[in-house]
Amino acid sequence: MLLACSFAFGVLGQDVTSVRTDSARIKAAVAVLPGQSYSVHEMIAPTGTTIKEFVSPAGEVFAVSWQGPYTPDLRQLMGDYFDQYLRAAQTFRRIARHVVHIETGDLVFESGGHMRFIVGRAYLRSKLPDGVTADAIR
Amino acid sequence: MRFVRLQFTAMVCAALICFSGCGGASSGSNKSGSGSGGSGGSPTNTVAISVNAGPTGNYANGLFATVTVCASGTSNCQAINDVLVDTGSFGLRILSSALNSLSSALSNETANGNTIVECAQFSDGITWGPVAIADVKIGGEAASAIPVQVIGSPSFSSVPSGCSSAGSPEDNQSSLGTNGILGIGNFVQDCPACAPGTTKNGNFYYACSGPSSCSVTTVSLADQVQNPVAAFSTDNNGVVIELPAATSSTTSLSGSMIFGIGTQSNNALGSAKVYTINPSTGNFSTTFNSHTYSDSSFLDTGSNAYFFLDSAEAGLPTCPSPANGFYCPSSPANLTATNTGANNASASIPFTVDNAETLFSNVNAAVFPTLGGPLSGLFDWGLPFFYGRNVYVAIAGASTPGGTGPYWAY
Repeated sequence: MLLACSFAFGVLGQDVTSVRTDSARIKAAVAVLPGQSYSVHEMIAPTGTTIKEFVSPAGEVFAVSWQGPYTPDLRQLMGDYFDQYLRAAQTFRRIARHVVHIETGDLVFESGGHMRFIVGRAYLRSKLPDGVTADAIR
Repeated sequence: MRFVRLQFTAMVCAALICFSGCGGASSGSNKSGSGSGGSGGSPTNTVAISVNAGPTGNYANGLFATVTVCASGTSNCQAINDVLVDTGSFGLRILSSALNSLSSALSNETANGNTIVECAQFSDGITWGPVAIADVKIGGEAASAIPVQVIGSPSFSSVPSGCSSAGSPEDNQSSLGTNGILGIGNFVQDCPACAPGTTKNGNFYYACSGPSSCSVTTVSLADQVQNPVAAFSTDNNGVVIELPAATSSTTSLSGSMIFGIGTQSNNALGSAKVYTINPSTGNFSTTFNSHTYSDSSFLDTGSNAYFFLDSAEAGLPTCPSPANGFYCPSSPANLTATNTGANNASASIPFTVDNAETLFSNVNAAVFPTLGGPLSGLFDWGLPFFYGRNVYVAIAGASTPGGTGPYWAY
């Protein structure tokens, strides 16, 4: 169990098969919402938080988003990018509470809300499919 | 120290330490006896609040107050200054380092021989530390023997992976930017889904048999970290945040937090209009241009700007790094949004967003009434909204002259 928890199993930037791994680990139901140039895999985590994973035509997860009462397991959703977020959060910042907007390398990480209601997203700028802008990720 | 200040932040910090004297002791001296406030015939249900750069000198739009914490039932007390006043959370959280010797005098909450340790989730990170039972005094009001969180306790320095995977740890003054967080928002407890019998678990609470042996547990609502205002013996149905207007960036701003709504002559609703919120999400609705934030808008003294939309949607460029969490329009943008409560009460709110990089170049300033930034999916009316307003925060389930909470009124 300890091994599983520390294993970097994130999906951001990974192949679509990792979505299935994720849903199994989160024990969530997955609904695939086909889009024009990408698909959205939606899961409801046991905490009641809705998680979406955005998959490109090439089968790559280029974005994740979450909304609900509690923060999801970000390390799991973001994989190696979680450490990139952590480094940026602990380095590049003016003191800010309740809202984080980080742009570091290819990664854009955004989180906001208040206790009992949190919204966030993470995406890879270079991996957005043609014609898809960041405002589609929510 | 891992925290590397940005170039402009360093300038702001260096300057503000001189102005605010924040480079000194992080908290007041030990004192004995009864709580502060109420002397000289002034109302006992108020406490001074101030917008300033905070104890680390680099806070923008941070609202602070002094809170006194005592070992329960004793006169062993510590006045903690520079505690963030936060309507976006529920419960008092104090840095272990700010408690000084009081830290060891507080009793931790236990269950079946295990210490209850909390992983409080904020959207900007997590705070980890044991739940202690303390008497809390703010102004002339007191809450006896309530659960509070002690952040960054050396006794529980190992954060479980399930907690650290929810965000960046904020367990010391440099990362927190305050000596603590006073959560006085619309709700009493911080994690209803952490109580026994719920089908979900928010994973806020852990039972620890040792410093690094912790597992997720349930904690009853009564034993959760909670809003001290609801535990006061009087004036306990909410608070009023009163701050003067700020027309331009300035060094500091002084105001009052008044406890109770319609309980005394100084906290009547008067002409303020009530906007009820969804009792589950804590949100109301906001319409801005063609965008409607349905049940996803809120007021928050703990957010340091107006946060709304994606840069492209707002038509406002974000600033270059390192200030890219804020907007940088070439000239001040005068905007208007409409807030609508769950009770359909609505108000048109004008606000202005100016160039954050220009604002931050004023090294003496810590009050920025025109600071804005991007946030997709939410409309967050941060502290600038509160400048020049009296804002009433009614607690869920509490009876007030404006009806039963939760609601905002302004």
